[in-house]
Amino acid sequence: MTKSFKNALRVWNRPDRAAYLFIAPALAILFLFTVVPLLATLVISTLDMDVFLQVKGFVGFDHFSALFRDERLLDAALHTIYFAGVEVPLQIALALLIAVYVSKNTRFRKFLRSVYFVPSICSFTAIGILASFLLDPQTGVYPNYLTHLGLPRLEFFRDPTWAMPSVILLTVWRSFGYSMIILVAGIQSIPDSYYEAAQLDGASKPRQFFSITVPMLMPALSFTVITTMIAALQVFDQIFVTTQGGPLNKTETIVGYIYNTGFQMAPYDLGYASAISVMLFVLIMAITLVMNQYFLRKESDMA
Amino acid sequence: MERRITGGKILAFIGSAALLVAVLHPFLWLLAAAFKPEQEFMKYPPTVFASHYTFDSFAKVWDSIPLLDFFKNTVIFSVGVMILSVFLDSMAGYAFARMKFKGNKTLFTLVLVTMMIPFQVLMIPLFVEVFKLGMLDTYWGLIIPRAASAFGIYLMRSFFISLPKDLEESGRIDGLSEFQIYRKIMLPLCNSSMITLGIFHLMNNWNDLLYPLMLTSSTEMRTLSAGLAMFVGQRNIEYGPTLAASLLALLPLLVVYVFAQRFFVQGVATSGLKG
Repeated sequence: MTKSFKNALRVWNRPDRAAYLFIAPALAILFLFTVVPLLATLVISTLDMDVFLQVKGFVGFDHFSALFRDERLLDAALHTIYFAGVEVPLQIALALLIAVYVSKNTRFRKFLRSVYFVPSICSFTAIGILASFLLDPQTGVYPNYLTHLGLPRLEFFRDPTWAMPSVILLTVWRSFGYSMIILVAGIQSIPDSYYEAAQLDGASKPRQFFSITVPMLMPALSFTVITTMIAALQVFDQIFVTTQGGPLNKTETIVGYIYNTGFQMAPYDLGYASAISVMLFVLIMAITLVMNQYFLRKESDMA
Repeated sequence: MERRITGGKILAFIGSAALLVAVLHPFLWLLAAAFKPEQEFMKYPPTVFASHYTFDSFAKVWDSIPLLDFFKNTVIFSVGVMILSVFLDSMAGYAFARMKFKGNKTLFTLVLVTMMIPFQVLMIPLFVEVFKLGMLDTYWGLIIPRAASAFGIYLMRSFFISLPKDLEESGRIDGLSEFQIYRKIMLPLCNSSMITLGIFHLMNNWNDLLYPLMLTSSTEMRTLSAGLAMFVGQRNIEYGPTLAASLLALLPLLVVYVFAQRFFVQGVATSGLKG
């Protein structure tokens, strides 16, 4: 080793300096591939640019004013809100109900926990392929079961009215186990003494649930609600695999529309697609902040 | 505590058993269907079980789609990200947890803030950036943008902060460099946190669809998720091979889950505690 190299090593080996070398690689990646793109979105949304990166000019806020006249975007936004508004409460309610039951560490309940989580480790691609086979109006086994029960033969993903409920059902089926795991961890950290005291006071099980479990679980519950909501507002994978936005565009969501605008439909307008994603970002941030405020108030009310 | 069988308990048992069936049924159907002969899919009424089973679909699937490429790409991408990200995240998490330096708090807060930015907002500029770097449709283009993660830094920091104080001192007395202290004293203590984080990354990247879909363009570079989604979209391959490919795509993570369930659950549970 040369002398200057040794010198450099000694200088950089002081903890307060070495720390920068420890964090530099990770922070460089985060900066380059999160912060820079975030700022770039704003720039690209003011450009007339296509997927081949041909910049044809600066359009200022034209894309943003166009957003408000875009009826297909309005539809996509409504579909997204429909999805999120139904999927999130269903997923959380099911996960909470199940979490309360399976949080005790008996063998059977541990087994239930591990099985319920299995769909969450499967890709939406595989799950979506599976669902489109199972729910196929002609060859699927589930529509056939329904007719055996005397119900009408539903077309599921092919029916404009039922396509979105089918996507919601698929999503709840796949993701409730994920929320359940987070809630189980929260429930298990509630001290048993609370329940014992409540029992001495003669509180019923439902009473214990609403007066102990729910308030004590608020931090985990609010986190689950908010992250599930953020994911729901960005819904894409399961729709891309099952309905591809159809039938009659009834399941096209905001992210689906961004993808179609930028990468699927001529003129592959990346500038406009970026403007939509900026709008989506603002929407997600606003909803997150409102929900966060709401839960913080709830937590302090209950404390 | 007294143990009585109440109506509520019976109801809960029936409900959870019904949910168990609802969760498992599609998987069992897939297991049977992947071994069905092709003509059985056309049968009416459709059935779960077939009259006989064959390996035909598994034999044919390799010719119908470039499944081997998809597997190779998925393994290189998700394992590559896993190794790099666990390494970089643990280094950064270690520094944030145990080293005093100017800007520690501020920088760590900024890291946490980046966790709130949804990927969908970044995807178009990310596509442009990776294209400009000449890495579109390459392994590096897939791996490098994910080579560090805010969640990973957060997770490793919370682990390192829980270790006893003064652990570093013995190393400094022995004349180890800062990197050697991290490598030889600290890392061996956090194997389980690193496996948890590694599995969390492996699961997310193995299953990710939109990200590899954007950053790859040729069929030979597609991952399992993106590649299978494209082939299903074209609807030009037979039922049996499609299902065989889906089953094969699910299998690796399911096998890892059977052996390392604890780590899957830990990663998810930890992500909930940051709230």
